[in-house]
Amino acid sequence: MDVLAVPAVIGIARQAQRRFDDSRVPLLGVMGAFVFAAQMINFPAGIGTSAHLLGGALLAFTLGAPAATVVMTAIIAIQALVFQDGGILVLGANILNMAVVGVWSGYLPFRFASAGRWRNAAIFSGGALSVLVSAICALAELRLSGVPAKALGVSAAVFLISAPLEGAITLAVVKALEAIQPGFVRRPEPGRRLHASLLAVGLTAIFLAAVGVLFSSAAPDGIEKLGLVSGIAERARTLVATPFAGYETSFLASSWMRKTSAGLAGLALIYGVCLAIGRVAAARKRSV
Amino acid sequence: MHHVVLERWSRRSSPLHRSDPRAKIFVLLVFLIVLATTHRDLLVIACALGGLLMMGIVCSRLPLAGAVGRAAVVLPFSLAFAAVCWLAGDPARGVYLAVKSYLSALAVLLVVSTTPLPLLLRGLEALGAPRFLLMVAQFLYRYLFVISEEAQHMAKAAQSRGATAAGMVGQAARFRAAAGALAVLFARSYGRAGDIHRAMLARGFQGHFETVTALRFRRSDVALAIGGSLAPVALRLAVERLT
Repeated sequence: MDVLAVPAVIGIARQAQRRFDDSRVPLLGVMGAFVFAAQMINFPAGIGTSAHLLGGALLAFTLGAPAATVVMTAIIAIQALVFQDGGILVLGANILNMAVVGVWSGYLPFRFASAGRWRNAAIFSGGALSVLVSAICALAELRLSGVPAKALGVSAAVFLISAPLEGAITLAVVKALEAIQPGFVRRPEPGRRLHASLLAVGLTAIFLAAVGVLFSSAAPDGIEKLGLVSGIAERARTLVATPFAGYETSFLASSWMRKTSAGLAGLALIYGVCLAIGRVAAARKRSV
Repeated sequence: MHHVVLERWSRRSSPLHRSDPRAKIFVLLVFLIVLATTHRDLLVIACALGGLLMMGIVCSRLPLAGAVGRAAVVLPFSLAFAAVCWLAGDPARGVYLAVKSYLSALAVLLVVSTTPLPLLLRGLEALGAPRFLLMVAQFLYRYLFVISEEAQHMAKAAQSRGATAAGMVGQAARFRAAAGALAVLFARSYGRAGDIHRAMLARGFQGHFETVTALRFRRSDVALAIGGSLAPVALRLAVERLT
């Protein structure tokens, strides 16, 4: 169903289009290419292994979170279309996880503590959070679409290692950037009240993370039972599940029609989120 | 390299290459929706849909083996999850995951390798995708190889300086060196973006790309849109009726 969700997620950019001026198009495109290319530079990570930058948080610190969302969306779309990487059926979910939730949750600590003592900690935790929250979202979505919880434990462990790594890399790159040329890393304007919808996005991210933890720790067949107990519970679960469902929730033997309507509800939800983010983008239009 | 092959394929000539990108995108969407919502008799339907895609590949005169192999790039990730499902005692779901992700990748491959990317993005724009995002995507694709090459040069330079030789320098120093390299790459990309924009302004950029030819939706495209989107639906209905 998130094939349908893709145009909705892209609603962010439609909003952004009206506000960002065209001078930013080359910048955002080239920085997207930079994130691609950054994968070629390896960081040593323990014995014989290496890691590379994922970039969501770094982009948010340098270009601003709305722009970073657009760039990450473009990256994920190109990856799915041209490189057959990531898969088209989960494109909507991927964009939601990495470009929306990942970028914004990585941006939040920086937003609150971009100066002063906690600055380094904020940058580090921003990088780590961007990976961790999108990973938890992805795992929760997989869990909701019926992949056994046991199976997800392994991947969760991998993400737990890679999250602090991303944090460390992001911090190191930010430090190096400031050494070359101060001013790349933008400081959120002080004294500006945090926009309500930005807060909403942040809270949604945290909520999703909580849901993810809940689902991974709960008894594996808890949801299925819940789904069977009553129709209301089932509907609620479907509503919760659809915006994030990479693959359809197939263990409920539901008809086409119900699935389609659930998908449309998810679509509407995502579209709402996008509109909210678009508003934020409007409010924070800045020239580079 | 992988992408260059797709780029070359997309410039070949066949009825499918010549048809309007909007028709192809529409058919792709219908195909993906049919595929994603299939649960009953998935394997039979998947075989039928796979056959349909093979027909498309043959009709567009693409190398069949090459296309089938290239779409398998998507598999490592989904196979990992499929294997995990299998081990967790739910082999059916594992098979579903792998089959669906493979067929969707093959379908996207068919469209991407019969449509040059600029045309594809124009088709998406005509279908209502936001222009800003598409322009960013187009720039991304255009400079992807430029910046990647720069990164490769830097990595090679670092190697020849001995920076990556294990044991010669400490891990921390190597980590810092990699961060420094990325920072330089970042600054260079940033600067290049500024140059690009100034050059565009100098050439009279008006905020959108001018195209040499307009998209034309011909009668054959209508036929493709209708026939192509009915085919997967009909196949699925037929299989569900028969079983």
